[in-house]
Amino acid sequence: MLAMLIRPLRALWLALLVTLLLAACASTPLQPVALTPGASTRAELADTPFFPDDSHFCGPAALATSLSAVGLAITPAQLVGQVFLPGREGTLQIEMLSGARRQGAVAMVIPGTLTALKQEIDAGHPVVVLQNLGLSWAPSWHYAVVVGYDLERELLLLRSGPMRRQEMTLRTFGHTWQRSQYWAFVALPPGRLPASVAEPDATRALVAFERNAKPAAAVTAYRAALQRWPHNATLAMGLGNALYGAGDLPAAAQVFRDAAVTHRLAAAYNNLARILLQQGHVAEARQAAARGLVLAGPLHATLLDTLRDIEAISQPGS
Amino acid sequence: MRRGVFCFLILHEEHIMKRFQRTLALVVCCSMLNLSLLQSAHAVMVSTEEVARLAVTGAPDPGHARLAAVLARDNVRSEMERLGIDPASAQERVAALTDEEAASLADQIDKAPAGGIIGAILLVFFVLLVTDILGLTKVFPFTRSVR
Repeated sequence: MLAMLIRPLRALWLALLVTLLLAACASTPLQPVALTPGASTRAELADTPFFPDDSHFCGPAALATSLSAVGLAITPAQLVGQVFLPGREGTLQIEMLSGARRQGAVAMVIPGTLTALKQEIDAGHPVVVLQNLGLSWAPSWHYAVVVGYDLERELLLLRSGPMRRQEMTLRTFGHTWQRSQYWAFVALPPGRLPASVAEPDATRALVAFERNAKPAAAVTAYRAALQRWPHNATLAMGLGNALYGAGDLPAAAQVFRDAAVTHRLAAAYNNLARILLQQGHVAEARQAAARGLVLAGPLHATLLDTLRDIEAISQPGS
Repeated sequence: MRRGVFCFLILHEEHIMKRFQRTLALVVCCSMLNLSLLQSAHAVMVSTEEVARLAVTGAPDPGHARLAAVLARDNVRSEMERLGIDPASAQERVAALTDEEAASLADQIDKAPAGGIIGAILLVFFVLLVTDILGLTKVFPFTRSVR
C-alpha cells in the first residue's frame, strides 16, 4: 500500500528534477532568420497535400506529402513496404532518402537552419524534418513537413501526424528539431535543386540518385547541378557516366575530355579511353589511357587494364 | 491397358521434369551470363560512386559488401525477421543505397533513430506532459506551451 503511494511520488520528483535540469541546459536555441530588407515575413504552401496519420506511419506520410507536392503522386500506403520497419515502428533517415530516390525524386539533405527552411518555402519546396518530440533519453521520433512560416508571430506551419495545419512556435520547434541534429531534406524531381543545399550534400545525393535512376533522368539531374557548381569534378564524371549509360557516346566523350583536362582526373581519362576504343579510335584511346596512367594513383590497375584491352584490339591475332 | 496409361503418365512426367530442368538450366545460364556481362561493363568504366569515394577518402570502401556480410549473419537475419523485414524487399532496399550509406547502415542499423511515436510509460508521460507545457517538447497535441 505504501509502495503504491511512494512510486507515483518518486515519479513526480524525478519529473520535477528532470524539468529543472532541462530548463537549465536548454539554452542553445535556433539561430534567428537573417532577414534581408524587404524579405517576406510570411509564406505558406497551402496547396501541399495532406495524408493524416495517427500511428507509426509518419515516415511514409511525410515522404508522400513531400513527393506529391512536387508532382510525384504517391500515397503513404504505397511507400510503407519500402521505408517502414515494422519491428522499430518507424522509418530510418537513410530510407527516407532512398525511398524518395526509388520514386524517381532526388532527395537532398539541407542545412539545419531556419534560414534554409525559409529559403526552401520561398522557393516553393516543402521540407521534411525529423523531430524528437520527446526527450533525448526518452525519444519520440517524428517526421513532419514544414509548409510555411510566420516570422511576425514566430510560428512554423507543418503537416504533422493527424494535424493538417499545425502551428508550432519557433522556440518549441527549435527544441524538437535540435534533438535530431537539425535533420531536414527536400525531395524534388531531377533537374530541380533545393535553394539552400550545400555542394557536398547535393553531390552525395546525385551520386546516390544515379545508382538506380534511368540514365536520362540522371543526365538531367547532373546538368542542373553543374549549372550551379560548374567546377565540381564528381558531378562532371557523373554527367559523363549518365550520358554513356543513355547511349550518347559522343556527348559522354566530350564531357570526359573536358573533365580530364580541367580536373586532371585519371578516371575521366580512363572512361574517355574506353569510349574512344568502343568507337574504334584506337590511337586516340591509347593516348588518353596513357595520359590517365600518369595520374592514376589508386586507379593504376584500372588504367593498366584499359591499356591492355586497347593493345589486344590494336594487334588482332597476336 | 491400365499399365499402358501408367507408363504414359511416368513418361509424361519424366518429359515434364526434363523440360523443367532444361528451362531451369537455361534460366540459370542466362542470369549468370547477364551477371557476368554486368560485371564486366562495370569493370571497364570508373563509376561516379568510385570517383566520389576516391575524392572523399582516397581509398575504396566496399560498403555494400560489408552490409551484405552483416545482413547474412544468422543473428542479424533473425533480428530482421523480428523487425518484420521481408528478405527480398530488404535486398531491394539495400540496392537503393549508396556504398557510403550502406557502410553507415551496417554500422548503425540498431542505433539510427526510427520515426513514429513510441508508446510512453507512466513516468515518461508525466515528464513529457510537464515539459510540453513548458514548450520544451511537443508530444501531446492538446498542451499549450507557456512562454
